[in-house]
Amino acid sequence: MAKNPLHTKLCDMLEIEFPIIAFTHCKDVVEAVVNAGGFAVLGEAMHTPDEIAADIKWIRNKVGNKPFGIDLVLPASVPPTGDLDELRKKIPQEQMDFWLDMKKRHNIPEPKGQIDLHQWGGLNKEIARSQLDVLLDEKVPVICSGLGNPAFILKDAHEKGIKVFGLVGKARQAKKEAEAGVDAIIAQGYDAAGHTGPVGTLSIVPECVAVAGDTPIIAAGGITHGKHLAASLCLGAVGVWTGTLWLASREGDNDMIIKDRLINSTADDTVYSDCISGFPMRVLDCTWTKEWRDDKAPKVLGAPYQMLLSSDYIQAANDHRREDLMTEAAGQGVRFIESMKPSRQIVLDMVEEALEVFENLTGMEAF
Amino acid sequence: MPKEPLPTTKGFDPEMAGKRAECDGGGHFGEKYIRREEFAGTLSGEYVDHGDPPWRWYLLKDLYQKPDHYAFDSVWCEKGNIYLVGE
Repeated sequence: MAKNPLHTKLCDMLEIEFPIIAFTHCKDVVEAVVNAGGFAVLGEAMHTPDEIAADIKWIRNKVGNKPFGIDLVLPASVPPTGDLDELRKKIPQEQMDFWLDMKKRHNIPEPKGQIDLHQWGGLNKEIARSQLDVLLDEKVPVICSGLGNPAFILKDAHEKGIKVFGLVGKARQAKKEAEAGVDAIIAQGYDAAGHTGPVGTLSIVPECVAVAGDTPIIAAGGITHGKHLAASLCLGAVGVWTGTLWLASREGDNDMIIKDRLINSTADDTVYSDCISGFPMRVLDCTWTKEWRDDKAPKVLGAPYQMLLSSDYIQAANDHRREDLMTEAAGQGVRFIESMKPSRQIVLDMVEEALEVFENLTGMEAF
Repeated sequence: MPKEPLPTTKGFDPEMAGKRAECDGGGHFGEKYIRREEFAGTLSGEYVDHGDPPWRWYLLKDLYQKPDHYAFDSVWCEKGNIYLVGE
């Protein structure tokens, strides 16, 4: 009998059964994945320290002593100043007129409530630091930094028995974080949902493996199937970081309209565009993205101006549940989300699919 | 959001002043997204530390690389995300 190819260094490090990490903003998904033998990380970047502490308590009540992680967006750079109202006044008339015309042509209503996306500047280094202190106080098992280098907290975290993971989009970032002593590095490729780096998953994973020494690399970007898991392990990764995969799960808290779109989408239905935030990001194609790539569209504005324009659209689409307008960040692997499965089933299916790959490759039963 | 202001210390690091550097920067954007953005310029040597252990940020000025429409001529960069040019 061959060695179980899915039992990796990550499984030993985290004492988990399968090297599958779910990144999610939904606590119910965390509970389901952790209790199914995987690992889950809750995104808490927009929550207050008190909310984060409450969420940690909730998760502990649901998963007992099993480990889980919390992800914060540690900023890597911040502008010297910034005022939202002042910035709104600087939006050029041409782009504002284009938006108002689009609003009229598509009968886009006003948002019902607060413009959530206007909180773009709602996080700064002081807030991130206070969030981080909660994670240290609570001794959360794993802290993930979704952007900036977490080197400065390593000593404190390790003294408290906390593991620290960093997410990178370039090999030089992986090298620097590995040298600093992070416990694992998530190498995120271009295939991923949201704002990604320009390097594809197939390239960035082995490049990070090559420069990170003994630090384990976790593959991210477009991973939604057991074949992706098997391929990632072949590239030298010790596991996978998955996000889009959970958006249409039974426990996931996304709107049913978005879940249905995800289930019926392929890679071609995602677009890599700067028209939402001013930075390139991957989302499901929608009225907004189609309008901005029209020949008659004005030039997309840089950040933060483009986000100030798009936030009214996105909030109105969500508030009024307009199927023709709604969008969501989604990775290129979206084609393999085929039904609204329970998260536990997603974990087990991915394991089975990956084992089948190894069995087909070796002609041997995996374990 | 923080209940009390974090301890903050400002200072000047002569060893960093005048060095050309790149910063793989970025931060939070919108409700649940991150953004990546790259800068290159000259370190002024000014720094600020937040909290304990100190989280150190250096001021990068005279930017010769920055995102389109970045409205400022300087940026604070976290120490761990700075790459000194030529070193």
